[in-house]
Amino acid sequence: MRAQLPRDQFAAAALRAKRRQVLGFLGGFGLVAPGAALVSAIDAALNDAAAQPAPGQPVGKLGVYLPNWPDQVELWRQLSRDWAPLGFELDLQQGTLDTFISQIVAEQKLPHIGSMSWGGAPDRLDPDYFLSEMFHSRRTARGGLNFGFYRNEAFDRLADAQRAEMDPAKRQVLVREAQQIIADDSPSIVLYHRDIIHAYNKRRFSGVKPILGNGIGFPYMPLSYQDITPLTPRRFIRITSIYDIASLNPFLTPEIYNSTTLRLVYATFTTRDEKAEVMPWALERWNVVNPTTVDITLRPNTRFHDGVAATAQDVKFTFDYINQHRFPALSRVYEAVESAEITGDLSVRLKLRQPSAPFSANVLGYAFLAPKHIWEKVPANLATPADWPNDRPVGSGPWKLVEWRKGEFLQFAANADFFMKPKLDGMVVLPVPQMESMVGMLERGDSDMLGWNLDMTLGARISRNPDLEVVRTPTHGQHELRLNCAMAPTSNKAFRRALQHATDRRKLLEIIFSGAGVVSNGSPITPALESWANRDIAMPEASIDRARAVLREGGFTWNAQGQLLMPPA
Amino acid sequence: MQFWAYAARRAWHTAITLVLLLVFMYVLFRLVPGDPTTILLGTGELTLEAQARLRELWGLDRPQWQQFLTYAGNLLTGDLGMSFYFRRPVVEIVAPMLGNTLVLMIPVVVLAILLGVAAGTWLGWRRGERIEEIGAVLALIPRALPVFWIGIVLLALFAYELRWFPIGGMRQAFFYPETWYQALPFFDVARHLVLPVATGVLASMADPLMIQRTALIEVRHEDFMILARARGLTERAQRRLARRNAILPVLTYSAIMVGFAFGGQVLLEVVFTWPGMGRLMVSSVSQRDYPVAQATFFLMAAVVIGLNLLVDLAYGWLDPRIRLD
Repeated sequence: MRAQLPRDQFAAAALRAKRRQVLGFLGGFGLVAPGAALVSAIDAALNDAAAQPAPGQPVGKLGVYLPNWPDQVELWRQLSRDWAPLGFELDLQQGTLDTFISQIVAEQKLPHIGSMSWGGAPDRLDPDYFLSEMFHSRRTARGGLNFGFYRNEAFDRLADAQRAEMDPAKRQVLVREAQQIIADDSPSIVLYHRDIIHAYNKRRFSGVKPILGNGIGFPYMPLSYQDITPLTPRRFIRITSIYDIASLNPFLTPEIYNSTTLRLVYATFTTRDEKAEVMPWALERWNVVNPTTVDITLRPNTRFHDGVAATAQDVKFTFDYINQHRFPALSRVYEAVESAEITGDLSVRLKLRQPSAPFSANVLGYAFLAPKHIWEKVPANLATPADWPNDRPVGSGPWKLVEWRKGEFLQFAANADFFMKPKLDGMVVLPVPQMESMVGMLERGDSDMLGWNLDMTLGARISRNPDLEVVRTPTHGQHELRLNCAMAPTSNKAFRRALQHATDRRKLLEIIFSGAGVVSNGSPITPALESWANRDIAMPEASIDRARAVLREGGFTWNAQGQLLMPPA
Repeated sequence: MQFWAYAARRAWHTAITLVLLLVFMYVLFRLVPGDPTTILLGTGELTLEAQARLRELWGLDRPQWQQFLTYAGNLLTGDLGMSFYFRRPVVEIVAPMLGNTLVLMIPVVVLAILLGVAAGTWLGWRRGERIEEIGAVLALIPRALPVFWIGIVLLALFAYELRWFPIGGMRQAFFYPETWYQALPFFDVARHLVLPVATGVLASMADPLMIQRTALIEVRHEDFMILARARGLTERAQRRLARRNAILPVLTYSAIMVGFAFGGQVLLEVVFTWPGMGRLMVSSVSQRDYPVAQATFFLMAAVVIGLNLLVDLAYGWLDPRIRLD
């Protein structure tokens, strides 16, 4: 079997997609008026007929969509070889991440398999993300991340129950049970959790703090910068990042890099500690009164960067403001919090719309303390305050913004008033859009820390330099092969289980990422996340004979040419 | 026909071209699947409901023809719209980047023409000699190489190995001068400019060089050159005379060259991480930031079309026969 360039079925599907867009577009101008529903119905029928093998017939070709990244290309080069003895062909379609999102997530047009990797954003530490977002039947809607159309009522009930369970111990049981169902049903082949590899100059700085899912250089978790200590007279660190931010307005963007960077300035109510457990940040404490009532108390003596004292007024204002303007970037906040009521100088009682287990991590850890005296004066002529430039951000976080020069640098100064004062005086983030340049700058001493994901080859090169240290940190982010549960043959559970056995995760991780990572046992939750992972799930034995046996048990057979045949009707 | 009538007609044609370009680009960008909110949707950072609200806030929920009319209407008043990605007026985003691009592009174009003309004259004057053959080949080698490759080689040599120049960027954030010459104004920008300008000049000087060489070879046999020799002019004076008379085709070409330089700039900026319009162009397309992408492409096309208009008008003024077509 050889991986083939998109032809026949896939090229045809792509063509249909384009034609539909053109028609839709012209329709927008009033030139032609095709019924969109009719067009899509015809398309869907054509697609399914072309892609689904009939009972007893050869499985034929499996459509695979993969992003055009080097590691994905290598992965599929391996898999085309490893899966060949099973007796079907692969039709590989490469594209950009944007195409993946617009075609497969937004339009829900997954071929048989979608190959994807998910980064370790902080809100994905809560098990709700990789369970409910990815596999709850509710998320099969357009734009949902259950784009493999997995449906299991028992799983849905567990996913809903764990989300509503405010007692962590009880929730743990539900979360582990849900993982077991996913591992059994195999709607996805979770491959591995690739380590985050960052590097820094150990002659100049000490005290870096690797945090699960954050490494030492990402801005996702502010605690990682907190203890960095200068060893030379220069008391600020220069960090390179592949991205720059787009805006200084914390209400505007939901994009992870931009929003977490701004949260260095605007302290969130809670954050994550070294073990990625939730800890209070702007808050002194929070208390779950009942499943829909949470009391929160601000740290005493909190001051905004302009010297104004922060009070319960600001806390209430923040939640009211988000509810009033319904900022899309903060939808998870207004969808969770119904109202905020002042109960003391520093304390506020929050009423939730429904019980939410990830609340303290994903809502209090994402919402930030906004100064009332600044935001109530935002000009009213804007469509939304999210469009306000906010050139001088005033927050209460550990870092004050000094200057942002787009495409050149972002400069922060330590906030001496913060309860946990950073050990540095300042921090400069340099956006460098190329990995080679970032490595060169670190090696030449033009930067002190490389805050972007290195591969092992570059890591090995950097570690030969006696001044530099490479740090590997596990992450909860993952690489997966999503299987289409609504289209034969991947709709067949035995077929999906067989693929689990035909996929040698350890070998793939070794070949593609030099073994830098943790292989999955089939659960979407990384074993590194100790409080949530279900370590009892047995790792599927990697064996092509076992895979063939599973197929045979499921009713599949092979013809004389060795082609895999669907089970008879 | 009068010159002014000719000028008016050419200007009218240019205006039509620009309008067609505008419509074409608008349509082209809308045909790409996804919109600025889709990218956020797919990462799970935005729910479907929040995406709908964002589309409404950004005016993306209205029919295409309405969006286009708004866009075109705003454009007439000089308003390029708001960037989706930055949520700031497009002018604020594009203007500083255009400035940075010009800082890199102007030295490249000027040096490429000056060096090209000088070298082309020198080679043309030595027509038939061994040195002319070798020189022409040498000049064509960098022309045949991809500009990003030249850039990478220069970087590897002069930035990574010898460490004479910075790796990229336009300024070093927080540059502290240590010697008197480092304290000179623009020192920091200048040392960042050396490698990208060298790359750009190497890649683009072959064209003016070859044009000048050919023109010079033709001019050398004109009657006035024979007369100059007969008058006993020095070799140097003769060469100067020939150069001035051969330079017109290069000037014509330089208008086209600016257009090419704009295009090549994109790769140059990516290789040298120069914060200019080329990089903005690339990022705005992948972010589906239509207003910024349209503005950058339009600006680039407008410069090329505008320069062509100027050249046409200059021709019409210099050579009245052209007005009659």
